[in-house]
Amino acid sequence: MSRVLLKFSFQFSGYIRHSSALSHTVIMTRTNLFHFPQRSFADDEKSRLPRLNEFGNVENKSKEVFLTVINGYDVREVHKRNHVEFIYGALKQMKDFGVERDLEVYKAIVNVMPKGRFVPRNFLQAEFMHFPKQQICIMHLLEQMEDNGVIPDAELGELLVNIIGERGYAVRRFMRMMYWMPKFSKLSPWPLPTEVPREPFDLAMLAVKRITSVDPSTVISVFSTRDVEDSIDDTWIISGQSPVQQELLASHNKKSPVYIEGAFRIWLRKSSVYYFVLRGDPRPPPDPVETDFDDVSSFSAGNIFRPPVSEVAVQPSVHEQEDGVFYAVCCTGSSGKDSLLSWVRLMQKTNPILGEVPILFKFSSPNRDIVTTDGKNMDGGDQSKTDSQKQDDETAGGNR
Amino acid sequence: MNLVRFFGRIIPNDAHNLCGNIRQNYTIARNVHTSVVCSHFTFHETKREPKDDLNTVQHIWRGMNMLKDEVRMWKDEVSEAVKTDPLFLFPGNVDKVFKFNEPNALHSWIATADQDNKDGYSSCEFFIDENQKGVFQGFLTQTVPKDGERTRAGYCNLKSVKKRKSFKRESKFEWGMYTHLVLRVRGDGRSYMINLHTPGYYDVFWNDLYQFVLYTRGGPYWQVSKIPFSKFFLSSKGKIQDFQYGPSLDDITNISFTMVDKIEGPFKLEIDYIGVELDPNHSETSAYEMYKLPRGMANS
Repeated sequence: MSRVLLKFSFQFSGYIRHSSALSHTVIMTRTNLFHFPQRSFADDEKSRLPRLNEFGNVENKSKEVFLTVINGYDVREVHKRNHVEFIYGALKQMKDFGVERDLEVYKAIVNVMPKGRFVPRNFLQAEFMHFPKQQICIMHLLEQMEDNGVIPDAELGELLVNIIGERGYAVRRFMRMMYWMPKFSKLSPWPLPTEVPREPFDLAMLAVKRITSVDPSTVISVFSTRDVEDSIDDTWIISGQSPVQQELLASHNKKSPVYIEGAFRIWLRKSSVYYFVLRGDPRPPPDPVETDFDDVSSFSAGNIFRPPVSEVAVQPSVHEQEDGVFYAVCCTGSSGKDSLLSWVRLMQKTNPILGEVPILFKFSSPNRDIVTTDGKNMDGGDQSKTDSQKQDDETAGGNR
Repeated sequence: MNLVRFFGRIIPNDAHNLCGNIRQNYTIARNVHTSVVCSHFTFHETKREPKDDLNTVQHIWRGMNMLKDEVRMWKDEVSEAVKTDPLFLFPGNVDKVFKFNEPNALHSWIATADQDNKDGYSSCEFFIDENQKGVFQGFLTQTVPKDGERTRAGYCNLKSVKKRKSFKRESKFEWGMYTHLVLRVRGDGRSYMINLHTPGYYDVFWNDLYQFVLYTRGGPYWQVSKIPFSKFFLSSKGKIQDFQYGPSLDDITNISFTMVDKIEGPFKLEIDYIGVELDPNHSETSAYEMYKLPRGMANS
């Protein structure tokens, strides 16, 4: 300790001022310039060692506690010792406290840095990254914000300018984030809330709404399997079917079967939902009419304003895709076969044809898609094969 | 090189390794060099091909086999040039560049995951399914390999092979007259990245990419995404560049799709076609406005 003080006194020996606030020791007067808190060095030397894990001993992990710890550091460390290490520690702990998407907390962390100390005095200092350790630390913080999709605001920019100056590299990174992130945050044509609901029912509702957004006239109905006699599962069914699809189903060829296919996966941010489709065989598109525009033999003046009758065909609806006609889509609470049977029965009330056509299940269990994501099982590298599973076809009598 | 030929004989043990590794026991008639001879001078190579263990005869044989296809290709090019068929573009017509209903379609795409580069544990594959659609699927994992260097992982990529002319000459897509990229895809709700590769002559431009996001709806319905080329932003080695300008559409050599959405799990993207379209009402070249930086600030 004495060595440290000697070093201080040696370094600043030219700047000694006489202060009215007298200290306990002679040496202390020589360093009074720094306005140390008036306490002895010896008794709390241990407490001034860098605390590597400020957030480790906290029990109740919440935003308030997190901010309290930051505030505690701010108050305790007058000279902001080890603030870079403190910030790195805080960044690591943010996820545990559930504040990794909170801009206010990021601002509080940045606020720990001393203002004005790192601001370069000339452009050469600025261009050669004045105080690189501190700037890189802020850039790591900004990177974590970007990874979590937190868009910075002007207040954070003001903070950064006060800390590292307006030409700092971290400020340039902040400017890039301010330029690009708002441009992309609202770009998706199928917008989702930043936090998708955790409740499976709400998630499935979101999925069905997203799938059926191709047809705005879709009616989404919620069923319960309890309404069906002798159903085994007790769960909910979210079913989406538009009037167009009802018409298509009504005109379905009764000799060809209708398939219930699944489970397919749709992703909503970090959650995935399984859905099932009611599909019929693809219908051939209307025959393209071969017309020879150069042939004027059958030209007559009266036909100019009338389209030729043979070329008129009904425009196929969006539900008539080349791999099938999709009659309905659903998500169920259990994704089980029994709940799908209940779905067919409930649909039969509005689509009586379902009682007359054979229904074929092309069903692959979604459970087989679940793969552990820890490193142990990654070496095989054949996770993608799980999608191409065997599909067990099963007829479920046509008289339901 | 010429000097070596004139003044002595050199036995390099490895043609790819340069100055450093040339064996020292060469015989020189007249000792003119005091330092190690540099057999040839080169920078990094854009195309790193694995070394093959073929002898001269096998090389010739392979070359002759290649010749057949190359001549056929060259014949098509010549007949195409002789016809001088002008390109007529009609607004609303999509010129399909990549389709997957041909048997050779599979050979013009390469699927790579970080596992292949020892960067991670993701895996992916590309195949053509029974409906003659290209399917890019796999499993994205963000587990970082414990090698002490990498800090993040998880990418899968599907890249078209470099466009070329006959006799292995380099070529580029001629999309300068078009304004939109049109894709008919069926995804799973995840977002993919579309990359247009425009590698330049100098090595700083080799990694130039024009990127944009391909959002997918998910579900059984196909979607047609029509993206203006002006929306693509320039990036290099994964970093968006500060100076943005629209892609030079006559310099595109490859197109690729990347799955990097930081979500662990399986993904699947079905592609029907990739095409280009002209919209005469679209005059924008770059959608990204530029600001003047403060004086003296180096662009970094």
